[in-house]
Amino acid sequence: MVVSIRSLEKNYGKTRALGGVNLEVERGTIFGLLGQNGAGKTTLVKILLGLVSSSAGSASLLDRPVGTFSARREVGYLPEDHRLPEYHTAVSLLHFYGTLQGIPRRERQSRIVYLLEMLGLKGREKLRIRGYSKGMKQRLGLAQALLHRPRVLFLDEPTDGVDPVGRKQIRELLLEEQKRGVTVFVNSHLLGEVEQLCDRVAILRKGLVVLSGSVAELTGLKATWLIGFDQPIPSHFSWNGGTLVPTETPGLLRLQCTEHVSSTGVVQENDLALDEFLAAAGVCGLRLRHLTRERTSLEDLYVALAHDAGDSL
Amino acid sequence: MKDPIRSGTYSEESTIGCSNVVQTFVAMMSDAWREFLDAKILYLLVSLIAILFFTVLSGRIDPLPSGRAYLDFSATAMSANLDELDLGKLTLTDIAKEHNGSVYWIVSDRAQGEDHPNSSWQVTLNRTYLPLFAQPENAADIQKRFGNIADVKLWNVREVRETTSGFITRIGFQSWQMTVDPGRDLRLLWPNRFTLFQDSLELTSSKGAPLGLEVFILQKLLTTGLGGSILLLISVAVTAAFVPNMVRKGTLELLLVRPIPRWQILLFKYCGSLLLVAALLGLLIFASWLVTGILADIWTPGVLFALPTLLLFFALLLSVSVLTGVITRSVTSAMLVTVAYWALLFIVGQFHNQVIDSRMREANIGRVKPMAIADSLRGSKSKREEPLRPGRKPFYKTTVGRVSEAIYTVLPHTEDLDNSVDRQLMRDYAVAGPFRALVESTDFSWKRGLGFTLGHTAVFLLSACLIFTRRDP
Ligand SMILES: Nc1ncnc2c1ncn2[C@@H]1O[C@H](COP(=O)(O)OP(=O)(O)O)[C@@H](O)[C@H]1O
Ligand SMILES: [Mg+2]
Repeated sequence: MVVSIRSLEKNYGKTRALGGVNLEVERGTIFGLLGQNGAGKTTLVKILLGLVSSSAGSASLLDRPVGTFSARREVGYLPEDHRLPEYHTAVSLLHFYGTLQGIPRRERQSRIVYLLEMLGLKGREKLRIRGYSKGMKQRLGLAQALLHRPRVLFLDEPTDGVDPVGRKQIRELLLEEQKRGVTVFVNSHLLGEVEQLCDRVAILRKGLVVLSGSVAELTGLKATWLIGFDQPIPSHFSWNGGTLVPTETPGLLRLQCTEHVSSTGVVQENDLALDEFLAAAGVCGLRLRHLTRERTSLEDLYVALAHDAGDSL
Repeated sequence: MKDPIRSGTYSEESTIGCSNVVQTFVAMMSDAWREFLDAKILYLLVSLIAILFFTVLSGRIDPLPSGRAYLDFSATAMSANLDELDLGKLTLTDIAKEHNGSVYWIVSDRAQGEDHPNSSWQVTLNRTYLPLFAQPENAADIQKRFGNIADVKLWNVREVRETTSGFITRIGFQSWQMTVDPGRDLRLLWPNRFTLFQDSLELTSSKGAPLGLEVFILQKLLTTGLGGSILLLISVAVTAAFVPNMVRKGTLELLLVRPIPRWQILLFKYCGSLLLVAALLGLLIFASWLVTGILADIWTPGVLFALPTLLLFFALLLSVSVLTGVITRSVTSAMLVTVAYWALLFIVGQFHNQVIDSRMREANIGRVKPMAIADSLRGSKSKREEPLRPGRKPFYKTTVGRVSEAIYTVLPHTEDLDNSVDRQLMRDYAVAGPFRALVESTDFSWKRGLGFTLGHTAVFLLSACLIFTRRDP
C-alpha cells in the first residue's frame, strides 16, 4: 500500500477537519479525492506529507510513518493555491528545490530541461515568475513536484487555472507517470476531470469518507437506459417501475431504474426493471429500435449524494 | 522527448536525491541572494552610499603652515618637567608653570621643502639657565628630549651639534644646530583644511583641524555613523520581507516537504541574509578605509574593527526581524518592530552615555577637564569641572536616568560595541578630549557588549526556530 490511513482525525482547535478517515491507495493507481470546499481534502494530504500533525489515528506513506525524510524524498507535492517565490525564474527555482531535494547537479540540469519542455514552459524559463500567468505557474508547480522523480505524487487541485489544452497535457503527463509505476493522489472538486483521469476515487464530506471505489464501479451504479422506439410513445402509456424521461426526439426516452445510490454505499443494479418495461412497451405496440446503457457521470452521483445528505452545493 | 536520465519504468530505488547540509546551505544562500537583488530598494541603497562616497572623494585635505608653531611647542615643553603629564588634560600654558629652571626657544628655522608635516627642518635651539641650579646639557640629551611631549612624539632629532662652548656655556647659555624629522604623531596633530567639492565648501575653521580628528570623524561618519546606518536600515527593510514571504501559505509548504529539518530552513535563511549584509558591510568599510586613505594618506586598519561590530549589531536586528516575521507573518510588522527595537537601543544607549558622563563629571569636580591634544599643544585654556548648580541632581540620580539605566542593563549592550570602535579609532588617530575620556572609562567593555548581544541574538533565534518547527503551516 502506498497510502494507508486508519481512523484518522484532525481538529484545528474546535474545528473538526477529519473525523475518522479510513483509506487505502494501492501502488500505481491514480486516486482522486473528491469533496466540497472545507471537506478536509487538503488537511488529509498535509497529514500524509507530515506537514500537519494528526489528532488521532494512524497514517502511513510507502509503509513508513508519515513525515520521515526517507518518505519525503519519494513524494512530490503540488499544494493548492501555491505561491512560488516570485524573484526566481523557472530554472533557478527548480534548481533551488532540486538542491534541497538533494539531486546532484548534472541530473538536475537535464531533468529541468526535460520537464520544462514537457510542460510547455520552454522559452519562458528565464523569465521571472512574477510575470507568469496562473496556468504557467501551475505547470511550474507541477514541474517542481515531478523534479526528483517521486514514487508518489500529491496534487492538490492540479488543473486549477490551466487552459483546456494544458489540462489535456497534464492529464497525459500523469498517465505517463502512472505507466512508470508512480502513484498519483489528486484532490479535486472538478468531477469531470477526475472521472477522465482517475482509476479510483473517494468522496469526502465533512471529514468523513462517504463513498469510495473504482470509477467504473461508481459510475455504473445507477443504471440509465437510452431507449428508442419506432414511433412516439402514446400519451396514455404509463409505467411506474422507474422514472421515464422523454427526450426531444420523438420515440427516444431515458429510463432510470428506481434504485439509486444512497449515502451509505452501493446498491445492486436491477436489470429486471428494464425487462418489465420493454414487455409493457411491447404490449402497447412499440417496437424497439435502439438500446444503450448510459453511465452516470460522477457529477450526477455527487450531486445525488449531496442531495441525500441535505447539503446545498 | 525522452527523459534523458532514465526512461522506462521506475524501480524501487529510482527516486533521485540525497540531501547534504552544505548543498542545502549554499542553495538557501543563493536563494537569499536572489531575493535580495530582487528588491528595488537595493538600488536606492547603492546610490545613497555612492553619493556619500563621491562627496567625500570630492574633498581635499591640505595642511596649513604650522611647522614653526610645533617647533616652538617642543622647545617650550622642554622648559618643564614632563614626567607623568597628561596632555589630554593639561595645556602648554599649564606645562610652562612646571618650570625646571631653564628656558628653551627656537631662534631660526628652515624647512627642507614646504612647510608641511612631512618636511625635515634645520633648527637653531637656544637655552638659558641659572648655572647654580642647572647643569649644561649635552647634545645626546637634547636629541632624546626635543619633540617628545609626554607620550606624544612630534619630532625626531636626526642630528644635533652644539655651537656654543667654554665661557658662554658656563654663564648659562647654550645653542644647538639641529636637523629634525617629523615624529610619529606630528601628521595626526597638524592642522589641516578640509574642503568639499573642489575647494568650494570649507568644513574647517581658518585654523584648520588636526588631521587625526578629521580622519576620525570621516571614518565614523562613513562606517558606524551615517554610512553604516543607511546600509543597515535598508538591509533591515529588505530582509524583513524574507521570512514573512517564506512562511506565506502556499510557499511554506513547498519548502517544508523537502527532506530537511525545519530549523535548518529558517536558520539557513537567516545565515544567508547575514552573509549578504556582511559582504555589503565589508564593502562599505573597506571603501571607507580606502577613501580616507586616499584623501589623507593614513592607512591604519583600526576602522576595519567596525565590521564585526556592525555585523553583530545587524545579527541582533535580523534575529528580531526573523522572530517577528515567524510570529506575525507580516512584512510590515517585522520591519516596524525591528526599527522600533533599534530606536529603543539607540535612545537607551544615548541615555546610558549620559549616565556615565554625569558620573564622571561628578567624580571629577574641581579637576581639569579633558581636552584635545591638539588644543592643549596650541595652548588653549584648560577648564576645570564645575560643580552642578545647587538643587540640581546629576543625571544618573534622576528618575529618567535610573529607569533608562535599568532598561540598559537588560538590553544587549550594543553601545559598548560602538564605543569600543570609537576608542580604537581615537587611539589610532591620537584624538583626545572629553569624548575620549568618556569612552576610555572602564564602564565600556567589548567583551560584555559581545556577550550580551550574542546572547540576545541566540535567544531570539531559538524562539523563532521553536515556534517555526512547532506550528502547523
Ligand atoms: N490551518 C487551519 N486552521 C484552522 N482550521 C483549518 C485550517 N486548515 C483547515 N481548516 C479547517 O479544516 C476544514 C477542512 O479544510 P481543508 O482541508 O482545507 O478542506 P478542503 O481542502 O477539502 O477544501 C475546514 O473547515 C477548514 O476551515
Ligand atoms: Mg483544499
